[in-house]
Amino acid sequence: MASKLWWLIHKDLVIEYRVRQAWPAMLLLGIIVAVVFNLQMDLLPEQRPAAAGALLWLAILFAGLVAIERTGAAEQQDGCWDGLVLFPLPSSLIYVAKLAVNFIALLALECVLVPLFVVLADIPLLRHAWAMLLVAVLGSLGMAAVGTLVSAMTHGLRQRGAILSLLVLPLLLPVVLAGAEASRLVAVGDVGTQWWRWVQFLGAFAIVFTTLGIVLFGFLVEE
Amino acid sequence: MGIITTSKSGRPVLWTSLVAVLLTGAIVAMYLAPTEQTMGDVQRVMYVHIAVAWLALLGFVAMAACGLAYLLSRNLWWDQWSMATCEIGWLCSTLTLVTGSLWAHAAWGTWWTWDPRLVSSFILWAFYSGNLILRSGLDDGPQRARLSAVLVIIGVADVPLVVMATRWFRGIHPVSPAMEPSMRYVLLASMVGLTAIMTLLLVRRRTQLQHESLVMQLQMQADEN
Repeated sequence: MASKLWWLIHKDLVIEYRVRQAWPAMLLLGIIVAVVFNLQMDLLPEQRPAAAGALLWLAILFAGLVAIERTGAAEQQDGCWDGLVLFPLPSSLIYVAKLAVNFIALLALECVLVPLFVVLADIPLLRHAWAMLLVAVLGSLGMAAVGTLVSAMTHGLRQRGAILSLLVLPLLLPVVLAGAEASRLVAVGDVGTQWWRWVQFLGAFAIVFTTLGIVLFGFLVEE
Repeated sequence: MGIITTSKSGRPVLWTSLVAVLLTGAIVAMYLAPTEQTMGDVQRVMYVHIAVAWLALLGFVAMAACGLAYLLSRNLWWDQWSMATCEIGWLCSTLTLVTGSLWAHAAWGTWWTWDPRLVSSFILWAFYSGNLILRSGLDDGPQRARLSAVLVIIGVADVPLVVMATRWFRGIHPVSPAMEPSMRYVLLASMVGLTAIMTLLLVRRRTQLQHESLVMQLQMQADEN
């Protein structure tokens, strides 16, 4: 089972590496959004962590939608999606593979955006790098879990992009808020009880929606 | 093929009773309930706000239960209930945001603030809206029912956030506002009255959806012949 999962993930990563469908656009959009946000941020130093934390996670959300929308894009032509679903695999395994690919994409995006915000907003997000890493990993997992599921839901719909955004944005608002607040606390160096509560929230969100995705994905891909 | 049957007997009495309940509730809330010391008359909006907020939450749970029932039974009857609940729930959710905003302006001096419970209520409203838009983009039938059912089940995971938000986070929204006993009676009456009215609207809308589905089936049969 693990090898099948690996091959599903490997397939998507190789396709992305060769065709470069989503990642370049996602990274570029993230950088542009980060620069534009920071152009507008003319704040006092003590006000910057709160604003930068929120803007960082908004930039991750907007740019991450590009990768989320491309979930399963490789299989949209020539009946490849039907072939994948008919393959003797549990549908939950396909979900986990797609989730993993989106998770990796979001982590890559954060690897670019977090240092960029450190430079542009002049806030010490990497002062406690392990704390920021934990926030980024749990936030990305929650985003990927929801995004993958909703992306499969809107597969083949008319006006897919608009409907996907309409459904994903409200669902991911708790992740954005928790991520923003946890990032602010990292930037001000307060990685104590309050920070831990937001991290727990992000963890709970990721667990709940990953479990729901594993259970419900089969209903989305059936004909 | 089922036969459309409607019974009109008793309907005017029922509607008249509900209008009477609504008017009585409004009069009691406006004139008989005591005036709150700090906020004054604007506090009276709470009699509607709390009732519709409760209905919006209840509707969301009911909608998810209908979605789950559909996925397990594959009976479109459940999808009609889910759709009707979504529409009524959206109405209640919208009223929650509007009345809450009116109250917030008087109590907190702002129309909106990023309090966790307000955010959760907004997410709930956005979910109702998203479900309506998703459904409008799909043709009537099993696919629409299936996708909508999955969406509402995902969305119901948000409801615990709404309920527990004030416990998990420090917000400014009152958890359980202190009230005079007479105020509590008015609130209870308002909740019962509005629940009865929304339930009636729900049943009516579900029946309408059933009729629409039957008409569509008959049209398809006619086209085939």
